Amino acid sequence: MSGGEIELINLNKLFGPMRAVDNISLHIPGGEFFSMLGSSGCGKTTTLRMIAGFEQPSSGHIVLDGVDMTETPPHKRHVNTVFQNYALFPHLNVFDNVAFGLRRQRETPDNVNRRVGEALELVQLTGFEKRKPSQMSGGQQQRVALARALVLKPAVLLLDEPLGALDARLRKQLQVELKTLQQQVGITFVYVTHDQEEALTMSDRIAVMSNGRIEQVAPPEEIYEAPATVFVADFLGVSNLMDAVASGADNVGRCKVKVGSFEFYAGRGSADISGSTKVTIRPERVRLEAKGTSGENRIPGVVQRWVYLGNAVQLIIGLATGAKIQALVQNTGEEIPYDEGSDVTVHLPATALRVLTDTGVPLASAAN
Amino acid sequence: MSAITERGAVPGHFAEPTLGTKLRRLIANPWGHPRGLVIITWLYVVISIVPVVVAIQFSFNAGRSVTAWQGFDLTKWYFGDPAYSVWADPRLQHAFWQSMKLAGLDMVIATPLGVMLAIGLARWRGALASASNFIMLFPLVTPELMMGVSLFLVFLYIFKFIQPGTTAQVLGHVTFSLSYVVVIVRGRLFSIGKSYEEAAADLGATPWESLRLVLLPLLLPAVFSSLMMVFAISIDDFVISQWLSCGSACDTVPIRVYSSTRGAPLPSVNALAALMVYMTLSAIGIAWLVMRFSNRGERKAEGARGGMVQTMGGFDM
Repeated sequence: MSGGEIELINLNKLFGPMRAVDNISLHIPGGEFFSMLGSSGCGKTTTLRMIAGFEQPSSGHIVLDGVDMTETPPHKRHVNTVFQNYALFPHLNVFDNVAFGLRRQRETPDNVNRRVGEALELVQLTGFEKRKPSQMSGGQQQRVALARALVLKPAVLLLDEPLGALDARLRKQLQVELKTLQQQVGITFVYVTHDQEEALTMSDRIAVMSNGRIEQVAPPEEIYEAPATVFVADFLGVSNLMDAVASGADNVGRCKVKVGSFEFYAGRGSADISGSTKVTIRPERVRLEAKGTSGENRIPGVVQRWVYLGNAVQLIIGLATGAKIQALVQNTGEEIPYDEGSDVTVHLPATALRVLTDTGVPLASAAN
Repeated sequence: MSAITERGAVPGHFAEPTLGTKLRRLIANPWGHPRGLVIITWLYVVISIVPVVVAIQFSFNAGRSVTAWQGFDLTKWYFGDPAYSVWADPRLQHAFWQSMKLAGLDMVIATPLGVMLAIGLARWRGALASASNFIMLFPLVTPELMMGVSLFLVFLYIFKFIQPGTTAQVLGHVTFSLSYVVVIVRGRLFSIGKSYEEAAADLGATPWESLRLVLLPLLLPAVFSSLMMVFAISIDDFVISQWLSCGSACDTVPIRVYSSTRGAPLPSVNALAALMVYMTLSAIGIAWLVMRFSNRGERKAEGARGGMVQTMGGFDM
């Protein structure tokens, strides 16, 4: 079992007139934890199902380790899937569920016993062999589904929102376990989710998708810090998008933008832009200063709402331009001197302010 | 301080509930036991069962009348009377075995065919699929007399090599039982969904293995319900059995009961019919036990389908 390298070439899928997957091309190197992130209907699950073989592409190719798999039926592909609702066979117990794939391969009973034991140990479910799926909790069922797929030592493991049905605490615990497992076993994981936190936490690279297209493919830091399009900026975290008019670069390589009647310098994104555009800044980079402070990239505002999050405080601030932005202040134990209704000066540091194009077309910096 | 009416709430003292209110609370209390509905349901059950109970009661009649109760005799008409009891009368026995034969063959032929048809129809997409779907439902909505007459004409003019008789009766029964099987199995297929088969294929099972190891075991409750349903329909059938009959040698129990009322009916006919009821009840009892036993491990799907009645009632047209 080599690599686990996947290549998707110009994949298209139409359901009647509806284009669910629109000309997607991807290259996933072996051993990578790759996530496809997007909201419902963006085509991520359809793409996954095409890789698994449950849907046939309308056009395009799927190549696994150099072999074109597009015409191969799902039971002959060397990939395995963990389904959203686990799909554990209800009439079989845990052992038979996990052994199912091995028995289809005509493994000897001794080998079957050994490998099932190993797989269950991997997911920490030794001793559960005789139980039926209905007698187990969601988290346990999910682990059985994992064991069932991993016992076959596939080149690639496909996961379709496997943590969706679990409560928040269990989800966080399993996220860590999944990541550790992937690094331990070393096979390629292709993970579909609509939860950005999940994607950011676990992935080596993320593909953000919308309307059947890929908006950006990059490691989590790059997706968050350097979103290529308006959609990506808005989808991950809070983007604080504001309309602006760009007027080219200044002498230190920053882009001059005008938000309303206020001048700003944006240190991120392409500097050589002019015309209508959008600027974005993450809420944790917004600085709040006392009313009347002067300086570069500062604008007066009024605190409209205070939301206590426990580990941080979220402040909704109305700017003098009429726009509303969110600021996130970490809970350091110090008191925040701005109440609801008080005037502040909002500082959007140039090093954190990013300029994007308005139309959602990816910029030259978008990677593949 | 003013008194409170039923609708208004004014601080004061509470008015005594009227007779109308008390009656309403008794029968149609939205928070309590739905007594009104329960009463109606029990009335319906009683009205439906009373005729059957009376008929069975008369199978234990000491005398020869089917209308006048002449005392209780447990075994006279079952095997006591040397000439006219079910045990002694060859025509009654023959009718019983004919019904059993038809029902048995019907079960064995219609159920597998119906299951295959249901699975095929569920997978098939396209215009031809909806047409087949529609045609398959025809026997369910066609009046029995029309079915009987048309089958008779088919065997008379088209399939001339089959004479009216047991073979023709079996074929007739299978024809209209198929629809019932398909409807039952399809409902179950729908609730199973395609995820288990996809999982099986994903793990390397060929389509045949997936069918054999995953789908059919999960379909077993529906197959069982279908068997019971086909049995019940078959032994109950009158019109089609009669139209395809070869004479008294092909008489089924309903036909024999009907023809005996023309002459002087004896309680032995009641005994024969009662035997059919006992068989049906045992079949349902066995089905219930099997369902209870087999459904113990299965997780309740969304909608919590449980129990044989719900499964059998889960028709999907």
